[in-house]
Amino acid sequence: MATITENIRKEVKEIVYSFFADECEVDIDRINDQTSIINDLDGDSLMFLELIEIFKKKYNLDIELKVIGKYAVKHPVATIGQLIEMQLLIIENENRLMDLDH
Amino acid sequence: MTNEVVITGMSLISSLGLSLEENWKNIVAGKSGVNYITLFDPVKLTTRIAAEVPPEFEEFSRQYIKKRAGGQMTRVTRMCFTAAKMAVADSGIDFGQVDRMRCGVIMGVVSTGNSSTERDTTPQNTVFKTMTNSMAAWISLEYNLMGPSFAVNTACASSAYAIAFGYEMIKNGQADIVIAGGADSIINFEEIQGFNALYALSVANDPPEKASKPFSKDRDGFVIGEGAGVLILESKEHALGRNARIHAEIAGYAITSEAYNIMAPMKDGEGMAQTIALALKNAGVRNNEVSYINAHGTSTELNDRYETMAIKQVFGDLAYRIPVSSSKSMLGHTIGAAGAIEAIITAMSLENGVIPPTINYNQPDPDLDLDYVPNIPRSADLQVALSNSFGFGGHNATLVLKKHFTGIPSPGLKSGA
Repeated sequence: MATITENIRKEVKEIVYSFFADECEVDIDRINDQTSIINDLDGDSLMFLELIEIFKKKYNLDIELKVIGKYAVKHPVATIGQLIEMQLLIIENENRLMDLDH
Repeated sequence: MTNEVVITGMSLISSLGLSLEENWKNIVAGKSGVNYITLFDPVKLTTRIAAEVPPEFEEFSRQYIKKRAGGQMTRVTRMCFTAAKMAVADSGIDFGQVDRMRCGVIMGVVSTGNSSTERDTTPQNTVFKTMTNSMAAWISLEYNLMGPSFAVNTACASSAYAIAFGYEMIKNGQADIVIAGGADSIINFEEIQGFNALYALSVANDPPEKASKPFSKDRDGFVIGEGAGVLILESKEHALGRNARIHAEIAGYAITSEAYNIMAPMKDGEGMAQTIALALKNAGVRNNEVSYINAHGTSTELNDRYETMAIKQVFGDLAYRIPVSSSKSMLGHTIGAAGAIEAIITAMSLENGVIPPTINYNQPDPDLDLDYVPNIPRSADLQVALSNSFGFGGHNATLVLKKHFTGIPSPGLKSGA
């Protein structure tokens, strides 16, 4: 578990933006928090998983994918901004992510 | 409801080029695509040669494949996808103007080539890279085609089966357009080692370009090739309705199982002969109408002997007057892609009136006495041609293709002339 500092928030945002710009072959300046992952970037759900792997390694996270899966079903992600918020919640709460709903 | 089926688009990626035009030019020039293996270090293998697709392919394919999708494909799948895009372009089809529910994709796939030579595989991509339906799926996704989309695996006859199924679906009115073909590469350490253990491969490593010698007495096994071939099959009515260019017509086919041996063909070519005879019957073509046979012609002792016997069994004395050539003498054996690649070459032969040669035909085998079009291409007024594909496990296929006439029907030809 980590406290989300401004530095972490900035770092996560940069990684997410760069990842989508690179994978979807779009100019990073075309991406903002309101950008739709599917409709605007032609992205896919697998990208979410790949980002989780990146953050798991970067922040040494202890989190099971099924926990994220259950949470994501209740809190679907459609935009870049929503995805960043979800990643920050994962970094902050790890396996206690589901407790947020109680 | 019975439709006539025509070929309105074709593309080919092989060791001899990255486009249909480049391939055809090299094929009629009798060039060999076989060289020393570069995809991995083959020094520990008995066979160290293969017909590899040129390394420029990766750069070339980027104009057709988005980076994200390309990363989820193997190199072989990228070949298939690129070939499909080029075939669609060749056909001039605008899928926005057709009923996409009546458009299908059928690919002959033995494996996707997710072997030790495949690099940069992430755990998230492993499944997509391995699943054999992926080539058909990617093509359907690209064009939003919602008709049947699937893969068929019958070893070296796979993509000939794909064409046969596509033909059948259009003929029976189940589809207007089917993208059919295949792609393959088994140029990797494990599979070459496996085929070496079966004594199936040529070990004539030096010089590489001389190793594949179908029907020649000194043949010593096949040479592995790789590549992709994709055809756009379309109902003739649909094609004429949009003023499409027609490369050739598909008149019929046969697919059979020899039920004899997991590796060897049925003795004396009996199974092959049955397949050829059934295909002619299915196409309504008389023996004396056949003007060219694109042979399976692997350069193995048994295949070439038995295929020759099969042709003689079906055609009798006529067999000596029908040119028979093997594209594998130049392209090697492209396994799952071979049926489609050779069907395309057969269609090009009909369209251009040129029979590609069997190169490296140096020593006539007294038992193999047909006209193998040795070493030099030949101009000919071709009207009906066969393409044979015979796979391990006894999976046989023969496709019957006809020249497409745009003007007055030619005497002696039945429907489609």
